[in-house]
Amino acid sequence: MRRDWHDIWGGAAMAAIGAAVAFYAMGQYEFGTLRRMGPGFFPTVLGALLAGLGLMIALPAWRRSGEARPFAAHEALAVLAAIALFGLGLQRLGLMPTTAVAVLVASLPAPRRGWRWRVMLAVAIAALTWLVFKEGLQMTMPVWPRLGT
Amino acid sequence: MAAIDRRNLLVASALAGVGALLPALAVAQQAEWPTQPVHVYVGFPAGSSPDVLARLVTEPLAERLGQPVVVENKPGAGGVIGVQQMLAGEPGYSFGTTINGPLTTSPRLVPDISYDVQNDIAPVALMATAPLVLAMAADAGPADLAGFIEAAKADPGGIAYGSVGQGSGAHLTAELFADAAGIEMLHIPFTSYAEVTTSIIGGEIDAGFMAPSAALPQVEADKMKMLGVTSQQPFAQVPDVPVIAGNAGMPEDFRAELWNAFIAPAGTDPAIIDRLNTAINEILQDPDVQEKMLAMGWKAEGGAPADLAQRITDDTQVWGAVIDRIEAAQ
Amino acid sequence: MTTLEGLLYGLTVALQPDILIYCVLGVVMGTFIGVLPGIGAMAAISLLLPITYYITPEAALIMLGGVYYGAQYGGAVASILLRLPGTPQSAVTSLDGYPMARQGRAGVALFASMVASFCGSIIGIVVLVLLAGFLSRAATSFGAADYAAMMVLGLVAASTIGAKRPSKAFAMVVLGLILGCVGTDVNSGVARLTFGRTELLDGINLVALAMGLFGVAELIGNITSAERKGSPPHVSLRQLLPTRDDLRRMPGPIARGGALGSFFGALPGTGSTISSFLSYAMERRISRRPERFGEGAVEGVAGPEAANNSAAISAFVPTLTLGIPGDPIMALMLGALVIHGVQPGPLMLEARPEMFWGLVVSFGIGNLLLLILNLPLIGIWVSMLRIPFRWLYPAIIVFVCLGVYSVRGSGFDIAAVAVIGALGYLLALAQFNPALLLLGFVLGPLIETNLRRAMLISRGDPVVFLERPISAVFVVATLALIGSSLWGAWRRFRSGPAA
Repeated sequence: MRRDWHDIWGGAAMAAIGAAVAFYAMGQYEFGTLRRMGPGFFPTVLGALLAGLGLMIALPAWRRSGEARPFAAHEALAVLAAIALFGLGLQRLGLMPTTAVAVLVASLPAPRRGWRWRVMLAVAIAALTWLVFKEGLQMTMPVWPRLGT
Repeated sequence: MAAIDRRNLLVASALAGVGALLPALAVAQQAEWPTQPVHVYVGFPAGSSPDVLARLVTEPLAERLGQPVVVENKPGAGGVIGVQQMLAGEPGYSFGTTINGPLTTSPRLVPDISYDVQNDIAPVALMATAPLVLAMAADAGPADLAGFIEAAKADPGGIAYGSVGQGSGAHLTAELFADAAGIEMLHIPFTSYAEVTTSIIGGEIDAGFMAPSAALPQVEADKMKMLGVTSQQPFAQVPDVPVIAGNAGMPEDFRAELWNAFIAPAGTDPAIIDRLNTAINEILQDPDVQEKMLAMGWKAEGGAPADLAQRITDDTQVWGAVIDRIEAAQ
Repeated sequence: MTTLEGLLYGLTVALQPDILIYCVLGVVMGTFIGVLPGIGAMAAISLLLPITYYITPEAALIMLGGVYYGAQYGGAVASILLRLPGTPQSAVTSLDGYPMARQGRAGVALFASMVASFCGSIIGIVVLVLLAGFLSRAATSFGAADYAAMMVLGLVAASTIGAKRPSKAFAMVVLGLILGCVGTDVNSGVARLTFGRTELLDGINLVALAMGLFGVAELIGNITSAERKGSPPHVSLRQLLPTRDDLRRMPGPIARGGALGSFFGALPGTGSTISSFLSYAMERRISRRPERFGEGAVEGVAGPEAANNSAAISAFVPTLTLGIPGDPIMALMLGALVIHGVQPGPLMLEARPEMFWGLVVSFGIGNLLLLILNLPLIGIWVSMLRIPFRWLYPAIIVFVCLGVYSVRGSGFDIAAVAVIGALGYLLALAQFNPALLLLGFVLGPLIETNLRRAMLISRGDPVVFLERPISAVFVVATLALIGSSLWGAWRRFRSGPAA
């Protein structure tokens, strides 16, 4: 039998997060009393609750069969990296280079080979974002890297 | 970093001076700066009161400087994010407007703050001040400030007042007031004046120090009354409200104001700061600007950079003492 | 001035050519800006605010109002077609709207959302006109205890949404509540779970959270599969239109959602979020086939859309009648009035009747315009889905990033989308419902601050929750709801696991 690993891992992760939050909040913030609750009251109680719920999800799943769902590792990595690069680059490099880099990285896992269409896509999207966000919505952000200083 | 930029600026201005055959280096330098758009960081969202105030000054400022002045809204942590973003910008082209918090109380109240006010910030000019009013529901017992203090003394901790959060100007002002009046009140933190107003009108809490413009419409509709104002002089937006200082046994020097100032990163060329200070003082003299500020509850100020520096030092000390008392009481 | 006189007066104000032009301008810009993922009404209004400095206050308020509800129409488009909700309300719409789009019924889902939005707005306007006085009194008589009790009821009622296993649904709500704790604690000023980042002191950015949990997570799973399936077949005009069955299913949810929204919307705070979730939960509960929800039930689109649009209208009740803004968007609108020298407050209705009645009538005109504008656009929006996904998704990523950036100009928030996106993808794999996380996230801080505030005000006496009549009603209703759920679970348990 293939166990319901999704619920086992999901539940275990919830339990771990809950326990971590509860212990951290208990150590860091004042718990207070029911009458005068401190900043630690809610995180501690909620963390404990989540830990309990996590166990309630994980334990029954051990004796239950479940379907496997594929984990799209490449796609996840490329998309998340593209977003992170965009966040780091926007204020330093400006809109155009950052957009182009993000599009190139994001398009890596796309199932069509070749570089030509990727570069063209990067240029087209960069132009589109400039048109919509900079010219249209007048958002304040650097467009190109600042030259000189 | 700052030293190199200053040298570049000097070299550039010297070259320009030679080219134009101008004798005075200082004049050339002023004519030279700014050569590109100037960025002004505001630690509050577009459309908020500190943002509108900043734009009232930066629009005429752009005309005077002959370069666009780009307002960058970087809201967060009560204005601290805006100051941090300003410090990360290019010296000479990165400035900020901020309320008093990030320069006075935030270093005490906000953890993990990345700057030191004394060493990292260069004051440019005080732009505006705003007092708070002590407001109660219209049908509340006390008729005036003396009555309020009397009622509070008769029932220590019995009066519940609202503020816009632990450590906010409204909270610290109330505690400063309570200490000076020798009374004790119960603090109920809210997140906005809108909530405090609703709660006072609904009779859930008794009082609150709040922005005059938040209280005024309710006073005109006979739902609230104002017992006193925290500025040293009567405030033009609410001219009939008596000042708290010297009233009902309160000390003559009682003052609690929010303010809004134009600042620069430390290391900005003093000549640039002087030029900005002059321009801002001129703008603040404009009756139209003054009127628009007053409509939002701000009184246009002005003054030298040193005056602002003094204000920062004074307020840091006053509010620091209040924070000490609050922390000791907990 | 009687209501009828007021409406006629409002008509003369709203039909002035220049005002009408700004109304059209507002709704058109609101729609197109709202379609951009992550750029909701808040960002759209603050981006357009500078324009209003140069026009009359009536025109300014009417235009910004148009942007406000126009952005909601637009926001529904992105959440139905691509599962890119920028607000918790749109997240509810995507629960069934997106499955409909995947079944090739995007046109029907858009039609349902637009018609429901229009009807919801009209219900909201009627309530605004007839019951403004009553609702504004209700808004001031709600105290901290009442808010806390109401939000708990909302949370409990909605936390069964789309849950095959209740424990997984509750876990999502609780995780949302925990994420809602991040930031400065209002009551003590302590920075909680910020781990030394000043960017987190005001909490996690809601738009970043919604975009990461929904849009980014969905996108990752689709890159390869969408390409394999090929682009969807050409959609004929017939398929854009709802079937008779669809039409029959819509009026009930719209009427109920509109009524819910117009009540909760008038309460300052998150009336709009609560009413969308409650409307969804209610439709699912009274449906004879609740299992259809989450698989593309048109009721799940119509009800919540009617609810959030009527809430958007009745949110103007406290703003206009008391001068007290219920949420940041309303605060921004009031700020725009103050810039024009109009002091909003309890006296505005008498002092500036043209403001109130002009706005009310323009709401109706604006929503009618939106319907006329948007129905023909459905075909264009749907045809966007025919763009090859390998071209579409990198553009979506960049647009999402900029949408998040538009909220507070923070590169940190964009990077946060990457982290939240990873979480969202893992949650989607393990089949947890992210909408419930969002609900917990939005309501958590409100429940906590109101609960603690109520205890402070009552000097630590918990009986306050039963003494105040409003709060007592909510507490009893919550207990009844939990009781009936437990009773149902017990009966299922008794009748054996096979059932």
